[in-house]
Amino acid sequence: MVTTSLYIAGRGFLYKFDPRAKLFTLLALTLLLFLGSNHASLWLLNLAVFLLALYSTNFKQSLQPLKTIIFLVIIMILFVPLTYRDGTVVIKIGNFTVATKEALFNLNLLVARFLGITYMATLFIWTTKMVDIQLALRWYGLSYSGTLIVTLAFRFIPSVADSFQMIQDAHLLRSASDSTSSKRRIVDVVPTVTAALVVALKSIPYMAMSLEHRGFGRDNKRGSYRYLDPQFGLWLHFLIAVVVIGVAYFAFNIF
Amino acid sequence: MSKKLANQLTAIRIALTAMLTAVVVVFTLIVRVPTPIKGYISLCDVAIVFSAYMFGPWVGFIAGGLGTGIADLLGGYAQWAPLSFIIHGLQGLVIALIARKKVVAKIPADASILRMVIAGVVGMVVMTGGYYLAGGVLYGFKAALSEVALNAMQSGVGVVVGIIVSKAVLKAYPPVRALAF
Repeated sequence: MVTTSLYIAGRGFLYKFDPRAKLFTLLALTLLLFLGSNHASLWLLNLAVFLLALYSTNFKQSLQPLKTIIFLVIIMILFVPLTYRDGTVVIKIGNFTVATKEALFNLNLLVARFLGITYMATLFIWTTKMVDIQLALRWYGLSYSGTLIVTLAFRFIPSVADSFQMIQDAHLLRSASDSTSSKRRIVDVVPTVTAALVVALKSIPYMAMSLEHRGFGRDNKRGSYRYLDPQFGLWLHFLIAVVVIGVAYFAFNIF
Repeated sequence: MSKKLANQLTAIRIALTAMLTAVVVVFTLIVRVPTPIKGYISLCDVAIVFSAYMFGPWVGFIAGGLGTGIADLLGGYAQWAPLSFIIHGLQGLVIALIARKKVVAKIPADASILRMVIAGVVGMVVMTGGYYLAGGVLYGFKAALSEVALNAMQSGVGVVVGIIVSKAVLKAYPPVRALAF
């Protein structure tokens, strides 16, 4: 099964925060993470975002982003010290320098930055409905056709997934031997994928016809996108976003 | 061209791009092939390469970029979504532009196998190099090296299977030619 949203019904002001202002804050804070090199501030921001995730969802859920990147963090711990060989040696085994001061400094910076970006992006997806993200992108200038492509794609993800699953099951039924083996699955890839693509392509003219039936291309359009209407006005939300970004900027540059 | 025909073409193009975007998402999220080292590679590159070979640069760019971007959002890797959009979008765009050069009907899948392979290899370099650069900026260039081999393998499988599937679909469903633009 394919899920078409990672939205988690939770609590807190992030759920009431306008998606447009939220997207703006996410992008600005991500930029700040790249500009800032103050470790204490970076980790403080990470702590704040983690606490926000904890408050918005629950403990188990709030650890989820960490689980998705833990492998990469291990890779970073293993490889980043090899990049920075010069400088003050901090850890040494025999004649081999394991880590220098510069290496640990950069490792700390990269881990903090990557963790921060991961948590902020995930929190945005958890607390914003997919339809609101699309409407926010529309407000930021995504064209009518572009938004239509995104909404239609979301509409067709489950049906494409279902038809692929059915075709795959049908191919597996033909096999007399161990039908679930890896070898069997690899052999079946090309015919399964070809059949799934033909099924998907055959539905395109019908989809185009239904678009025309719904008024697409007419001068008097029969439908329009919903307007996001935040509580207390959009600009108040943007003002809060600017204050949050300003505080983060102050923390990164002054402390 | 009459206004009605232009509208019909636009509706077809939107439907085509949306459907291929959905196909890329599905191939990224659920279609996985086991590897000998007990891991999995996704077939997202097959869908991107197919879109580029069959329908040209713009469908390759939008379906490839948007599809992988959405898949990252839905798969819990939201931080990669903008990067995937750019990298896989460029991969689709480059593949189609190279493959369809000197092809009369402007369907890149009509090109010679050699040209399709060259286009696919350039796309592979764009994808692998793009992720290496992005990974290098995000978590260090030495650490990003660890992903290069897997990305290259996934992309290579995508090119090979993509070429076979494109030719197979052209034979199995000839009206698909009318959808290319």
